[in-house]
Amino acid sequence: VNARTLVLIPLAGLCACQNMPPPYAPPAQRHPFESVRPYRMARIIEMDDGDAPGHFVRDISGALVANWRWTGQHPAVRVLLPSNKDLFYTIDFTIPEISFRQTGPVTVSFYVNGHLLDRVRCTSPGTEHFEKPVPESWVQPNQDATAEAEIDKMYVSPKDGKRSGFVLTRIGFEQAEPK
Amino acid sequence: MIQALAALVGAGLTLAACYSAGALLIDGLDLKLRRPERFPLAFFVGAACLHLAVFVILAAQIAYWPVLVGLLAGVVAMAVAQGSWRIRGDSAEPLSRNIKVFCSVLFGAFSILYLFNAWAPEMSPDGSAYHLGLVARYLRAHGFERITTNIYAGLSAGVEMLYVPAFAIGRHSAAALVHFGFTVALALAMLAYGRRIGKPWAGAAGALLTYASPVVGVDGTSAYIDVAVAATAFGAFYWLQVWDDLSRDSNGATQHVASSNRALIPVGLLAGYCFAAKYTAFLMVPFAIGFVLWRSRKLGPALRVAVLALPMIAPWMLKDWIILRNPIAPFGNQIFRNPNWRVSVEEEYRDYYRSYDLKNKWTLPLEVTVRGGITNGYLGPVFLLAPLALLALRQRAGRRLLAAGATMFVPYFANVGTRFLIPCLPFVSLALALALDAGKRQAPMKPAKGAKARVGTFLQEWFQRCRSWRVLLVLLMLVHAATSWPAAARAYSKSWAWRLNTIPVEAALRIIPQDKYLREHDSGYGLARMVDEYVPKGERVLALNDLPWAYTSRDVLVSFQGGYNETLADIFNVGWMAAYQPRVLETYKFAERRIRRIRALQTALGAQGEQWSVQELRFFDHGAELPRAPEWRLRAWPNPWDVQLAFDNSDATRWRTWERAAPGDYIDVDFGTTQKIDELRIERSSDYNRIQIQIEVMTDASGWTKLLATHQDSGMQPHGNIRRAATYELAARGIHYLMLYDTDYGAADVRGDPAAWGLTEIAKGYGARIYRVNP
Repeated sequence: VNARTLVLIPLAGLCACQNMPPPYAPPAQRHPFESVRPYRMARIIEMDDGDAPGHFVRDISGALVANWRWTGQHPAVRVLLPSNKDLFYTIDFTIPEISFRQTGPVTVSFYVNGHLLDRVRCTSPGTEHFEKPVPESWVQPNQDATAEAEIDKMYVSPKDGKRSGFVLTRIGFEQAEPK
Repeated sequence: MIQALAALVGAGLTLAACYSAGALLIDGLDLKLRRPERFPLAFFVGAACLHLAVFVILAAQIAYWPVLVGLLAGVVAMAVAQGSWRIRGDSAEPLSRNIKVFCSVLFGAFSILYLFNAWAPEMSPDGSAYHLGLVARYLRAHGFERITTNIYAGLSAGVEMLYVPAFAIGRHSAAALVHFGFTVALALAMLAYGRRIGKPWAGAAGALLTYASPVVGVDGTSAYIDVAVAATAFGAFYWLQVWDDLSRDSNGATQHVASSNRALIPVGLLAGYCFAAKYTAFLMVPFAIGFVLWRSRKLGPALRVAVLALPMIAPWMLKDWIILRNPIAPFGNQIFRNPNWRVSVEEEYRDYYRSYDLKNKWTLPLEVTVRGGITNGYLGPVFLLAPLALLALRQRAGRRLLAAGATMFVPYFANVGTRFLIPCLPFVSLALALALDAGKRQAPMKPAKGAKARVGTFLQEWFQRCRSWRVLLVLLMLVHAATSWPAAARAYSKSWAWRLNTIPVEAALRIIPQDKYLREHDSGYGLARMVDEYVPKGERVLALNDLPWAYTSRDVLVSFQGGYNETLADIFNVGWMAAYQPRVLETYKFAERRIRRIRALQTALGAQGEQWSVQELRFFDHGAELPRAPEWRLRAWPNPWDVQLAFDNSDATRWRTWERAAPGDYIDVDFGTTQKIDELRIERSSDYNRIQIQIEVMTDASGWTKLLATHQDSGMQPHGNIRRAATYELAARGIHYLMLYDTDYGAADVRGDPAAWGLTEIAKGYGARIYRVNP
């Protein structure tokens, strides 16, 4: 009986615990961050982002090399855009020496949700950056939008006949700096 | 190579100390065991005792390398000096040559596979996260720390206590090798049990069924604890059989033998150690008490078991009670209210682990035996035959095994992950083997008349012959071994199922350097090292998802692993998620009156998972807000600890119930003196809609009285840059670093404009980024 009592009393005691704190006084008051510049939305898919493959729609290689990937002819990514105000399409890509030697100058076209935004003629190999404002009507806020690019001539590997477009580093949308 | 050697030494010394402690106890109690069972049974009891010694060392804050090594070496030396390492014990049922050869081949093959996997750099998900993360942390602090930001620190950690000295010597792999030691000891105990009951083939088959099971292989060779829990439970069961055999004479009648009473000591210690090893194994305590009560028909021996279990259980409950205010943390938070672990998350965990989001529960048997993709691992296809184990009910040993197995199976439905079946696996395996091992040759059949009858007789004879030759058992063992071997298992189980895949000899021997191997095979490891590299010592890091924090020395607060962490994650989420931001303004107007104490009382039952939250609660008189004064006293229910978040004038913070909203929830303000008020405003998020608020005032005469108030909801916008407000709040709570996987919710928002968040990206890699909160 004694042993049983010894076991039961502490257990009953534990059940009676209500770890209620004493009442609190109001804490130090905060001030809103009114003077900090507002958030500028950007949804740019960098090819080495951990979630990048989840945004791929087509023609982007699964194999990541450093921070870039080979594309097919018409790569596209899909992103959710919270806003369609002051949007820019932006892309960083490279026409490699090896493909340029075979294809010569190429034309790359840029699309947003299937709308042709612009074309760029690349007359030499190297890294290119392109950005251009997106008309508001092309994009619906809080909906997915696709950023696409298309190259007119493909590089065909002499080794295995594999066809490739260009080297893609980042592609997506960002809002312009607030004026 | 030194790392490999250190791992072996750390594990070897720890395992030797476990055996030594147990052997000393057994010899001290003068308990006679049979030769094959002495090692495993002594090992289990010794592990229980050694765990307590390490607990004491950690509690005393003296967990220094020399102390831990001294403990291990001291115990081993004492056992050697006392002669406890000498082979001793009665002989057991002899093993035939067939059994020896057959078992050597099968067990040998799996042992090689297991040894190298255990020895290789540790990268199991839970092992390299909390099992060893806590061990590493305790060792850095030289003792237990008051950890309130990690749910896992509240779990009993009886097996991890053994990892502490092993880790101190040989780091992560040493701990995995200790667990491998338990895996081997379990198999040896099962083999020995078969011999004790006169069924060596059944023992061998049962042992192989458990030992070669793919989930046992992968779990038992990493720094998990499930196989150790199974071993401990089986050890307690085995000791019960030893006690029972000692307390009966050759005719089965009860006899009073002093040694039988002494055998209850290991029973009680091991039953208690089951709780210490894992909460869900606590059922071995009532099982042991019930078994002793049933067999002895006396209260005394049963009470003795209960009392002996207590020293193993009590330290863990006391530790939790003192640190977390909840003796069974992280469970029972509705009973033991505390700020460290939230009811809502406990419920979410419970709901998820009950199903693993398995759409059709009838597929569970196939999932846990063959597929293994959803429930993390699989037992092996032969366990589809587990219902045949019920045939063992015809035998006394079978009934006991099934009773113990059923007991250990009960908590499974709280978590249907495959590894949660491991504690009952030894019992089911042995029962299945017993069912298929009829053993004795049947009397020859009488010649039958007629062709049909002759065919029937032939089949029956053939079947009997099969049974007497144990063909079925051997076949079962061969099929299980073949289907459990990694190369074969890949053919039928899900490709991502948790299992062993190779024999990593080069990694185990560190011919491939550990760092290189881990970076190539475990991106989490690289991330943990990145945290160490970029986050200064002493800084805390908020992460929304887990990482192998056994490989970082920084304190990583994972969002769902503690109440405080959840508040921090909520602040972060308020920054980017509109539904969490203050977008709704509730106004309650009433006739001006002098009020000393007022409360907003919630009167509706929220939908499942629906919480009540308040960003700010303000009081007005004729449109002018009452300035918050130090003499105000704020109370709330539930979650009284966070009530200040509704009175800090920050849009980024909010008080939440952190459990399903229910009638009676409230926020209560005592102004200290009477104040004239005619309006109350609640600024809140839009992520709930069933909540009903009633305003009440406290009057001296009749307690709380409902105020007649007009209620109006309107929209509102957060003030200023709420993202910056969120990171400001994080910094105010000592969080200056944020680790986000690129796939985390909100990570894309931060990535889009870190500067507007008040963050600077300082490192990127392994699918994640680390940000520093700008001052």
